[in-house]
Amino acid sequence: MRYLSFFISEALIGMKRSGLMMFIAIVTITVSLIVFGFFLLLSSNMTNLADFISSRLEIRVFLTETVTRQDVEDFMSRVRSFEHVQSVSFVDRDTAWTQFKQNYSNIQLDDLVSNNPLPDTLKVVMTDNEHIQKTAEHIEQHSTYVSDVTYGGVIAQRMTSFAKWVRIGGFILVGFLTTATLFIIVNTIRLTIINRRDEVEIMSLVGATNAFISGPFMIEGLLMGSGSSLLAVVFLKFSYSFFAYRFQEALPYFPLVFKSAILNEIYIFVLLLGALLGVLGAYISISRILKKVI
Amino acid sequence: MIRIKNLRKEYPNGLVALDNIDLRIQKNEFVYLVGASGAGKSTLLRMIFRADYPTSGDIYIDNFSLSNLKQNQVPYLRRSIGVVFQDFKLLPRRTVYENVAFALRFLNYSRSRIRRQVSQVLELVGLHQKMHHLPSELSGGEQQRICIARAIVNNPPILLADEPTGSLDPDTSWEIMQLLSKINARQTTVVVATHNKGIVDDIRKRVVALDKGLIVRDQQLGAYDA
Repeated sequence: MRYLSFFISEALIGMKRSGLMMFIAIVTITVSLIVFGFFLLLSSNMTNLADFISSRLEIRVFLTETVTRQDVEDFMSRVRSFEHVQSVSFVDRDTAWTQFKQNYSNIQLDDLVSNNPLPDTLKVVMTDNEHIQKTAEHIEQHSTYVSDVTYGGVIAQRMTSFAKWVRIGGFILVGFLTTATLFIIVNTIRLTIINRRDEVEIMSLVGATNAFISGPFMIEGLLMGSGSSLLAVVFLKFSYSFFAYRFQEALPYFPLVFKSAILNEIYIFVLLLGALLGVLGAYISISRILKKVI
Repeated sequence: MIRIKNLRKEYPNGLVALDNIDLRIQKNEFVYLVGASGAGKSTLLRMIFRADYPTSGDIYIDNFSLSNLKQNQVPYLRRSIGVVFQDFKLLPRRTVYENVAFALRFLNYSRSRIRRQVSQVLELVGLHQKMHHLPSELSGGEQQRICIARAIVNNPPILLADEPTGSLDPDTSWEIMQLLSKINARQTTVVVATHNKGIVDDIRKRVVALDKGLIVRDQQLGAYDA
């Protein structure tokens, strides 16, 4: 405990004494964490968009006019038992027509069409859209009940593949940016430590252990990392709210991420990452210097 | 106390800094290591506090072989050996008090104990009134006194001084040597590397003379020249 309070006070003294260097370091780390956080938000929104689009993918099974209510129930149970099918719901032709008219209320459909042209329909939602085409073909084989099956065709496949690649790309991007941010932080902290290399050497010559020498630098790294990540998070939070709401006003149907749980996860991740990389950066830098000091 | 056995130091470029060094220094002794620049005095001192490694041979401190010392044990060796450097090696942005107190920080002493010991040692070296000054605000002799205070603040049994008067005027050099004698009188083994002829001739102690890495003379109450 005595060591910890000594480390903290030494870290604060060290930071105060290398004021300009520290300011430059904090600005550099903050900017790199903002870039990192920006890509996290972008990646999250891309994934959200891809998920949104692929979640709208479903198979519409148009049933023949002669099908009975019992046939529909039997058929629904069979389709439910197919692999990768999440849910099957029945939309009777009257409900479908009412909904359709509501959706296009600006057009006087009753004046144009005298009878309901829509058939009874099954709406099939998949657990995994990769198999949508196969499932659609499988359903179509039940031609006694089925008059037509639509599933979005090639576009559905492409959207599913797009969502998959956005997710993989997001992971790669996060990995790459984490490495790049670590590299920047390590080098920035290294510069502040190299500046005080004589101090490290003297500490070692008068009998300080490596752990004792490293302690204040690690605390400095932690404070620099968390201070910078806090600044970065504040900047990201306000700028995201500002731009996202304006974007949403311009494109109301675009599925931007507004869920505070997801956003908070990103902000907490940036905060923890900043603190962790700060400590790790300090550890790597001080270890390298200690190796050179006998 | 310090036993040096058949020590040799050869640098990768083939230069032999020390060769066939055999030396025994008793507890509470005061020894001058004399010789021209490049004779190997500083190298020998650096090996005793493990700032350098021998090519062969060994050094024993209280019968403990330094060649068996692991890297993580080096700090503990250095706590039992105070070192006074020619270039002082002070932390420039710390006050006199902080520079001296630093050597006690990692011993997990209480603040009051650190304060008491630092005050006592600053009193001994005559810097008590200047404890809140920065090293740059003091003269060369005073900076050397800080370095001595830091070296002895935890009462190490051995004090090594590498050219402690190297950059000081004759009067200040004399004062520093008187201080080292005083420390020696407090049951501390003192080894001083110097090429200050006047000091060695005036304050007679054991003299070990080095020339081109070899011991050429070992004389009780000797002078600088044979």
